[in-house]
Amino acid sequence: MPMSKYITYNILGVLCILFCLSSCKNHGEEYHSITDKIEAESRDYHGISTSSESYIEHINTVEVTENGLTFLIPERKEEIESYSCTECHSKPLDELQSKTIKKAHWNIKLSHANQLTMNCVTCHNGDNMDYLQSLTGSQIDFDLSHQLCSQCHQKQFKDWAGGAHGKRIESWASPRASMTCVNCHNPHAPSFESKWPERYNTQKINERK
Amino acid sequence: MSDTNKKWFSLNLNSKHKQTSGSCGCGKTSGGCNSHKPKNEELNEQEFFDAAVDASIGEERRKDGFDQVFDVKMSRRSAFKKLTASLLIGAGAVNTSCSFIAGDETKEKAQIDWEEQFKGNYKLMNNDEKKATVDRLVRSYQLRTGKTISMSSQNAEEDVLFGYAFNISKCQGYMDCVNACVEENNQDRSSQMQYIRIHEMKDGKGFNFNEADDNYYHEVPAEGHFYMGTQCFHCDNPPCVDVCPVQATWREDDGLVVIDYDWCVGCRYCMAACPYDGRRFNWSKPEVPENEINKNQHYLGNRLRKKGVMEKCTFCVQRSRKGKNPACVEACPTGARIFGNLLDPNSTIRWVLENKKVFRLKEDLGTEPKFWYFMD
Repeated sequence: MPMSKYITYNILGVLCILFCLSSCKNHGEEYHSITDKIEAESRDYHGISTSSESYIEHINTVEVTENGLTFLIPERKEEIESYSCTECHSKPLDELQSKTIKKAHWNIKLSHANQLTMNCVTCHNGDNMDYLQSLTGSQIDFDLSHQLCSQCHQKQFKDWAGGAHGKRIESWASPRASMTCVNCHNPHAPSFESKWPERYNTQKINERK
Repeated sequence: MSDTNKKWFSLNLNSKHKQTSGSCGCGKTSGGCNSHKPKNEELNEQEFFDAAVDASIGEERRKDGFDQVFDVKMSRRSAFKKLTASLLIGAGAVNTSCSFIAGDETKEKAQIDWEEQFKGNYKLMNNDEKKATVDRLVRSYQLRTGKTISMSSQNAEEDVLFGYAFNISKCQGYMDCVNACVEENNQDRSSQMQYIRIHEMKDGKGFNFNEADDNYYHEVPAEGHFYMGTQCFHCDNPPCVDVCPVQATWREDDGLVVIDYDWCVGCRYCMAACPYDGRRFNWSKPEVPENEINKNQHYLGNRLRKKGVMEKCTFCVQRSRKGKNPACVEACPTGARIFGNLLDPNSTIRWVLENKKVFRLKEDLGTEPKFWYFMD
């Protein structure tokens, strides 16, 4: 009798060890949740061969570092048709506004905050039209206009620098190239207008009748 | 498909035998595609098909279910008939490919059809086999339509796990994403199949899908509403994959849940298993106008499907594996859609997950979708 008891314990013991071994075996591959998995598998991330370079090589970019993150944004000055501004803005505004000179910027109507808060010189530098200016009067390059926007829109700026606001240019891969504020928002009228949806599914209407 | 002057190209890979004469697999009605040479061959395709079917399941065609299985008279004669039926199908292909009369293209097409018919599951193929089937499909399309497409069999890259984030405070319901998706993925235009749904929801009611409208047509954003999109969430623990009886759908190493359209039997179990309504079924032969076909394709992605198979969002595998953003991400004018590599600690998607308050739909099901929602 004690012999058979001994054997039973023995078998149970072996089974226990086997069970432990088998349950521990997969521990390295299975995770409690996707976030655990992401964290574990990205610990020794060494980069990948997929790159965004071929998708962004056709645009000129500027490298910026904001909130500790470095990425590329498209150059702006080359996009502005009449840059540099001082080609015209070499005389005082009164002279430029005389009726004999061809009109410019006649279609710009400022619709950005209210007039108490903003007018042209809140952003434009009256002394040197080739630059923008910050609230404290420092010069800001047209290529780095996000620095101007970030003065007020700090929350959006933080999200944009991180990548939660705005868009990546063509590719998800690194090096990261993101659109800058003025690529989507017109700085003189930054909000989006409402419009009709691009698509209406007439088939769905029929099916649901 | 016997309408003359039809401008659509209809995908017609495996059903060419059922065609009535006058049109062919390539959709052309006037000569030049070489798929019909009835007078020159010993048996034309239709006769041959009928003969083969008659020989193999002649009796069964008129019986159903139980009877087919149990009420089989297996005389010596019918046993021979059945044996020869399979030989006949083989011989048909050999016949066409060895015939001196049939054109080279007809032979090649028969050869391709034969190899495509008996190829294995894409999931189990090695790289050479994948390349071979892709080459066959490209050549087959070329023979049938005279047009050249490019099709990729690019595999998942190591250290890549695709993830997606959707900003519900940014989406304005413009539906540019839906448009881009339909065009990119060669979706059926006649049934207006769409992978993406944009739901218009009432402010203050939360995610109430019962009261949401996913087919609105008025100026957007509408007052007192917010918008959110759904599509395939590419779950890390996908219930659709578990239920597939033929393993025609699986999770790739980069997290994409994909379908082998040629292996799918169209049982729609996966459609029932998906808690997010992410899968779509081809009820009819998908039709895409010839000039709108996206010729940049992937075997697991936007290549032309056929009737009776499942399809769904693949995060645009033909784009994403090459480093491009999916079409919906690129089309969105509001920047509500973020896509990237979850395993790259410096990616923008990781920043969103780590810095925004994110949530997923039906998290309690344990499906682990790789599609997060967040707000500003």
